[in-house]
Amino acid sequence: MGILRVARAHLVTALRERVTLFWFLIFPVFLLVLLSAVFGRIGEGGGMQFEIALVDLDSAGEGSFSSIVVGVFEELSSPREEGKESLFALHRPAADEDPAAFLADETARLQRGQRAAVVVIPEGFSVGVQSALMAADGGSPLVVRYSEGSAASEVAAGIIEGMVAGVDREIQRRAGRLSEAGEVVVSDVTVGGGEGSEYIDFLLPGIILMGFFVNGLFGIPGSILFARDRKVLRRYWVTPLSVPRYLLGLSLGHLTLCAIQFALLFIIGRFALGARIAFSGLDTIGILVLAAATFMAFGFLIASLARTGNAGMAIANVLNMPMMFLSGLFFPVAGLPAFLRAIIRVNPMSYLAEGLRASLGVQAATQSILLLVGVPLLWILVSAAIAARRLRWDVAR
Amino acid sequence: MTTWRALFLAEFRLLLRDRAQLFFTLIFPLLFILIFGFIMADVGEVTARLGLVVGPGADGELLATVLEESGARSVERFAQAPALREAVIEQRIDFGVEWNGDTLRFIYHANRIAENATFRQIARSAEDSFELRRQGLHPLLLTEREDVGANRDLGWFNLMVPGIIAFSILSAGLFAVSGHVTAMKERRTLTRLLVTPMPTVALLVAIAAVRLVIVFASTLITLFVAWGAFRLQFTIDWLRYVALVISSTLGMMGLGTVIALVVRRASSAANLANILAMVMLFLSGIYFPIEFLPTALRRFSQGLPLRHMAEAMRAATGVFEMSATRFWIIVLVFAAAAVALFPVLARYVVRVERR
Repeated sequence: MGILRVARAHLVTALRERVTLFWFLIFPVFLLVLLSAVFGRIGEGGGMQFEIALVDLDSAGEGSFSSIVVGVFEELSSPREEGKESLFALHRPAADEDPAAFLADETARLQRGQRAAVVVIPEGFSVGVQSALMAADGGSPLVVRYSEGSAASEVAAGIIEGMVAGVDREIQRRAGRLSEAGEVVVSDVTVGGGEGSEYIDFLLPGIILMGFFVNGLFGIPGSILFARDRKVLRRYWVTPLSVPRYLLGLSLGHLTLCAIQFALLFIIGRFALGARIAFSGLDTIGILVLAAATFMAFGFLIASLARTGNAGMAIANVLNMPMMFLSGLFFPVAGLPAFLRAIIRVNPMSYLAEGLRASLGVQAATQSILLLVGVPLLWILVSAAIAARRLRWDVAR
Repeated sequence: MTTWRALFLAEFRLLLRDRAQLFFTLIFPLLFILIFGFIMADVGEVTARLGLVVGPGADGELLATVLEESGARSVERFAQAPALREAVIEQRIDFGVEWNGDTLRFIYHANRIAENATFRQIARSAEDSFELRRQGLHPLLLTEREDVGANRDLGWFNLMVPGIIAFSILSAGLFAVSGHVTAMKERRTLTRLLVTPMPTVALLVAIAAVRLVIVFASTLITLFVAWGAFRLQFTIDWLRYVALVISSTLGMMGLGTVIALVVRRASSAANLANILAMVMLFLSGIYFPIEFLPTALRRFSQGLPLRHMAEAMRAATGVFEMSATRFWIIVLVFAAAAVALFPVLARYVVRVERR
């Protein structure tokens, strides 16, 4: 009975605290929605808008090649679907504006980061393309001004180049130059597991693990150390409640919080963001339980190393970022230098992330099952052993 | 002067003991740079390591040339398709190409979802060019990239470092009031200090001066580490840099005042400040460009002080162009926030609490 009461107390305290609610529930959801909105649609152009300036110095009139290019840009600057933004927000000189002055002004804006690219259709462009149709050399190039230091500018320049290449093929096809019959068949294949997976399928397990990790790293030491600092724990020990029963209750409360976290993220990921992965396999459930237990044990380890609640939070803060980012949870870590790879090799998160994604079919496991399960288990054992030896259950006298 | 010096030293010692604030001001930027410096070493480069398998009887020379011209950093030849796919899975190459004379198959790693967008861009460009050249044609519409960025050879990481510096300034200023001052109030040390003949202004000046010292130290160490470890180049305009650090630190103390007025409990004020700082970190174009954000968030980010601080810091460190007018407006707005909110801080936050 005492165990359930401690579990309930831990859960109710956590859910009552607005800050806990934010970090354990709202922040993972915020991150899931934000990252899927940002990275889930890179390359598709969806959800992004680039400020582009277009200057037609050719002005060869209707039907010319320059007017075709202008037409394509104008098409891409109108919304693709009702209520959605266009890919480009196009800036063009006014009818009475000097194009050269406009170009100089827009280039300055590009340098200041207010434009992603400036496209210049040079003088004689249409004539150049026309003569290229007859001759064996290429036409006049369309100039794409961009800023190499800006990721947005790089992406915009790439989109423009791809778009121009597409227009070029269409013109060549219509001119009867490009033989459709002889065209190469092109296909894209993904390997490494998760064929057909979307970014959200890759992201969702990562965010769930992150939630469990933050919960264990901050929640467990926070509960124990602040209760110890405020001498709340001391009051427990004058009741019939023993330390093992307290620990069981705390663990049960913690695991229930993890379950709530999982349910919330799963529902949002699946029904609002379109994830297709199902966490129904026994191996998946096993890894999730192992992850929650590993991070909980990690929390006990931190609690045993810190003298006060504030010190515990400081240790957790220092460990938080390296453990999260040096695990392949959000970023690929294949090309890192040896000393960072060493951290990845001892980081239980690396194995749990790979194990969970492999069990869900979104990633092929590169490690044996023995390592994927064994390393987190070893962490549980080591953390529990250290915590059992070092953790003090009352303030120092 | 003695009072002020004593307060300054006391505040300095207190800050050195405040592990949470020291972490966000000093350690966080360094950790961030050391981790992300290696992770993001190649981000922004539209190049890739390619693998190529050419089937029997197919000519691979033209394809290899086209791939090299389309942005491949290297093109490694493989004898068999399974070996190439294995190399993709193990990430020894970024993506693979299988060509049998009729079909061009691009092989991507399923997990590299965000990077695959760049790889597909290279693939599409190669595919278009290969098709034309294979049929003996040449492109009619050519594009020519012209880098007009003020700072050539900069990557996204160059922009990220000043962003992280701006975040550490935000943390230092915000927590100075919403963490430190409210904690002093809660522990009643503030009341004890204020019943002495010490003027309130001296305490505030000491708190602000300590933050400025630590912020200058933190930002300079961060820049030095970024230069030393990753050879990142910054052209610092010292006048702008000093003006921005001072005005934004004080401005963020002003924002901390607003939090302290809304939330009285020290732990709640610090938590709220922490939450606000973290949300701003993700929406201010520090981790990823603003253009990648959904429309509504892009508009929302316009109102975030961290976004303007980050952009101004990029301008002050010479990695981002900003008109002098905009830069000084940002500095003045932060300074104005400080001037307007410091009297509020002195009157309503730093005061003797009645029991």
